[in-house]
Amino acid sequence: MATIEVNGLSKTYEYYKKQAGLWNSLKSLFHRQKLFTNAVNKINFTIEEGEMVGFLGPNGAGKTTTLKMLSGILYPTSGDTKVLGYTPWKRQAVFQKQFALVMGQKNQLWWDLPAMESFILNKEIYEIPKDQFNKTLEELTALLDIKDILEIPVRKLSLGQRMKCELVAALIHSPKVLLLDEPTIGLDVVSQNNIREFLKKYNKEKKITIVLTSHYMEDVEALCDRVIIINHGSIIYDGQLKKLIDQHVHHKILEVTFTEPVTNDNLNKLGKIKEKTDLRVVLEVPKTEAKQVAIKLLNDFPVDDILINEVEIDQVIRNVFTK
Amino acid sequence: MAYRFDIIAYRVGDLAEMLIIILMWSAIYDGNTKIGNYTLPEMLTYLIIGNLVAVLLRNFLYEVVAKDIKDGLLSAHLLKPISYFRYILVREIGRIAMVTMISGATQLVVTVFFIDQIIINNDLMVISVIILMVILAFVIEMLISYLSGLITFWQDEVNGLNFIILRLRKFFAGGYFPLNLLPPWFLTTSFLLPFAYSFFVPAQIYLGRLSIQAGLKGILVEMVWIVLLYIFIKITWHFGIKKYEGVGI
Repeated sequence: MATIEVNGLSKTYEYYKKQAGLWNSLKSLFHRQKLFTNAVNKINFTIEEGEMVGFLGPNGAGKTTTLKMLSGILYPTSGDTKVLGYTPWKRQAVFQKQFALVMGQKNQLWWDLPAMESFILNKEIYEIPKDQFNKTLEELTALLDIKDILEIPVRKLSLGQRMKCELVAALIHSPKVLLLDEPTIGLDVVSQNNIREFLKKYNKEKKITIVLTSHYMEDVEALCDRVIIINHGSIIYDGQLKKLIDQHVHHKILEVTFTEPVTNDNLNKLGKIKEKTDLRVVLEVPKTEAKQVAIKLLNDFPVDDILINEVEIDQVIRNVFTK
Repeated sequence: MAYRFDIIAYRVGDLAEMLIIILMWSAIYDGNTKIGNYTLPEMLTYLIIGNLVAVLLRNFLYEVVAKDIKDGLLSAHLLKPISYFRYILVREIGRIAMVTMISGATQLVVTVFFIDQIIINNDLMVISVIILMVILAFVIEMLISYLSGLITFWQDEVNGLNFIILRLRKFFAGGYFPLNLLPPWFLTTSFLLPFAYSFFVPAQIYLGRLSIQAGLKGILVEMVWIVLLYIFIKITWHFGIKKYEGVGI
């Protein structure tokens, strides 16, 4: 039995359209236009225990809606899903004690109290035995290095510190499945890195199944072997990140700086010019030719420095979305 | 905390409203000994005792629940293996405990102020029945507030309904004037609804205009309503939660 099974899952939101203005407000008392939006449209996927899967998609793609259905917050319009063998929206206590959802844009900690109070509250809610609680707390606070901020009211913490506390609160009951909705959003580079390191380590050590949605490519690159790309409510890719890159990337990027100005004509023959200033050019070159072009450049041009880069994953994803 | 100022504001508003109604009735009486079978002292006692009860019964549960649903804060609660209903009720009791005590105390002080003009009743039986009735009324008030809050699940369709509900509650409780100034069939209906036990009935028992037996009958009605409200809540939640969208994430 897979840890997460999703079958033909769909969610349609109803909403009313109301145009601006007084006349329209009056009109809307009697008649409103009811519209539907297919946030999620018959998606299927399976996730096994211990996997760390990245859920990628532009805003409005259906990522958060899917996570909400997996965690039982939303009822689907049709379709089915089983997490750890349970139907999430039945919200059985025995299921809830085995998973956690962390939302990057929404606090679950008590705002005016120190984080420690929220942890203790969770201990009671999830009925965690005292010894286990202390052990887990010790482990998590050490890994995330937040022992000294546990007694400070949450509203006084920085975003990065708060996020770490949210993670502790979510993991204090040792869930088997962790769902993360944009966990690193708004964080500075250092905090983002810390959280990524933590998740990687935790996933490896505890064999916990992690699904995370993110806008940030670095998150996905650093953490996930497997990505599920969703757009307009449908899954457009489900597989290894590496394979995705190989499939969609046929170029390499050469960044060259010269010691003297070089004209375009000669460069045009070697590859597509993406950027050009007097002493610098960025060339897009077919993968297979990259090495030859580099050699040619070094031989025939006054090269000061040359870099051979991969196409940014951002760009890859963008290409996949606009297909 | 902003909360504390809120309380003071509410209290001032409460007292002002009560004083205005007292002044109004005093003016209406203008020397008349009886209006609709009430003397002025009886009317004033009715208003003051009634308001004491009303103040002890106040809760802010509607606002809390409506906000949780509207702002999507309910989502965090839905994740946890704990009943939102029980959690929020208990939390609210904790939050208003102090407020209620202060309100009750200030109301008693005001009562002392009017001590010459009102009727005193120290029959132990009467007081006990009233206390029991008020305790049950507290539960009913919480349940009604919670139920009103749940209507927010359908906020796209029933915006503003709570405003009507609040006014109706106070009216049927006799908070504006004694209900027996209205036609008899109206009075009978009120006894069957839960609202009258939050103001009118306790005050009437205090005045001796309703017997202890009537009070006990009322307590029975209250208990039936508690069961009914609980059932309504379960049904409303069942349908409402399916509509919940958890916006704001």
